[in-house]
Amino acid sequence: MTGITPAMVPADLGSQLVNLCSMMLLVTSFAIVAQRRLSACVDLFAVQSVFLAVTAALVAFLTGIHHIYVAAGLTILIKAVIIPLILKRVIERLNVQREVAFVINIPPSLLICGALVILAFSVTEPVASIGFLLTKDSLAIALAIVLIGFFTMIARKKAVTQVVGFLMVENGLFLGAAAAAYGMPLIVELGVFFDVLVAGLIIGIYTHRLQDAFDSVDVSKLTGLKE
Amino acid sequence: MTMLQSAGIALLQTAIILGVSPFVVGLIRKVKARLQCRRGANLLQPYSDLAKLFKRGVVVSTTTSWIFTATPYVLFASTLAASVLVPIFLSRVPLSFAGDVITIVSLLTVGTFFLMLAGLDAGSAFGGMGSSREAIVFSLTEPAMMLSIFAVGLTAGSTNMSTIVHNTALLQGIVTDPPPHLMALAALFIVALAETGRVPVDNPATHLELTMIHEAMVLEYSGRYLALVEWASAMKLLLILTLLSNIFAPWGIAIAAHPAALAVGLGVWLIKISGLAVLVGVIESMFAKLRLFRVTDLLGVAFILSLLALVFFYILRGTP
Repeated sequence: MTGITPAMVPADLGSQLVNLCSMMLLVTSFAIVAQRRLSACVDLFAVQSVFLAVTAALVAFLTGIHHIYVAAGLTILIKAVIIPLILKRVIERLNVQREVAFVINIPPSLLICGALVILAFSVTEPVASIGFLLTKDSLAIALAIVLIGFFTMIARKKAVTQVVGFLMVENGLFLGAAAAAYGMPLIVELGVFFDVLVAGLIIGIYTHRLQDAFDSVDVSKLTGLKE
Repeated sequence: MTMLQSAGIALLQTAIILGVSPFVVGLIRKVKARLQCRRGANLLQPYSDLAKLFKRGVVVSTTTSWIFTATPYVLFASTLAASVLVPIFLSRVPLSFAGDVITIVSLLTVGTFFLMLAGLDAGSAFGGMGSSREAIVFSLTEPAMMLSIFAVGLTAGSTNMSTIVHNTALLQGIVTDPPPHLMALAALFIVALAETGRVPVDNPATHLELTMIHEAMVLEYSGRYLALVEWASAMKLLLILTLLSNIFAPWGIAIAAHPAALAVGLGVWLIKISGLAVLVGVIESMFAKLRLFRVTDLLGVAFILSLLALVFFYILRGTP
């Protein structure tokens, strides 16, 4: 990195690189939706977080706003290392069945997610067309990832996959913040990361309790009463 | 280009596809063998296999019709015809006026269609099973393949293969148009694995009832018919790998027909093809074959990616 300054990178190439990275985030979201094994879902989420960190670092480098580097580092630490570790331990410890349980099966899920992406692009189109930021296309991708995250939470039964959906929403929000406003103020970002970490921990414990009570982490069982 | 040069280049290109395709198959087998800690057969083994099969006699079931005997020739000829239209080391193919992407895909489809008919023709249980499986996979890969090539065609502004490759080769820069290209590339790569019967979809190395698709269809063939079918499927593999490398990364390809540029283009193409073949070998070793009904999930991903590639083209271009 030494010797390269933002001025040496053409604006066009910079925005292309940001686009490329945010695109990889979207591709990994689709991979998560199409995944049948729980542990692979968690791995893919870690990969997605790495791409998010790279995108954030690129934005930081191209705009010269240095506190985004901190957020990128925290993304790697918390979302690509700590939370996947917690989730993997949950999966291992609880002998959860390793297959993902579906409310909506994979091929229709993919089609719905495709429609969500198109929706996200058409919704943000008026904003993107007047935008001048180098990340303006990422805004649509961020919204698409948020929607796909929500969809994952709705369409998958197990607690672990719902956590992954929740974290995908968070990734989308972070990308959206980087795209729309070149990052939130550092203190807000620290707060968000702390929230996500605590949420990850609480959901991990909650999943344990769920397993204890129902011998399953299928959240649809929560609707039935049991002593 | 004079008439004579064009004819020479067209002939050379055909000869190269014919000559190099068994080598690619041998290379993939070698990589797989190495990754399994075996020494593996010689890289030139597929050539001697073909030579052996051509020398052997042919056994044809008495219940077959003309379709069975015609299929190897139809398959071989249609694949060869498609190879004439695909730019390999020169970005503008002499015969490019004869057909565009749709022609190439339809020519490959004709071969597969006849292969499916031939699988049914002999009336054996395996043949019919292979044909029905191939029909499932084929009907799912075809739209993804067309859409992903169209997504790149839109960027280049034409559906003619030569124009696509030529225009993409003229563009400077690392990644020309990231989102559409990347998604189309991912989609076409999955399609390439499915179309050529590689591991996540089909296992080319076994004759197990549960796994075979392509093998089940050609189970009845022997002698020179089998040689033609095998050679044609090797050519199809090489063609699709060439499409993959030349549509998305045509750098180094000869833009004009100078001897030196042609030599460089040929060398670069060989390197790219070898790289892709090694990648296919590694993927085959890393992943298990999917259950047949899970194949739809994988191909669904390919279809959605190629569809999104098209959508992104319009959306990103729509906002200047």
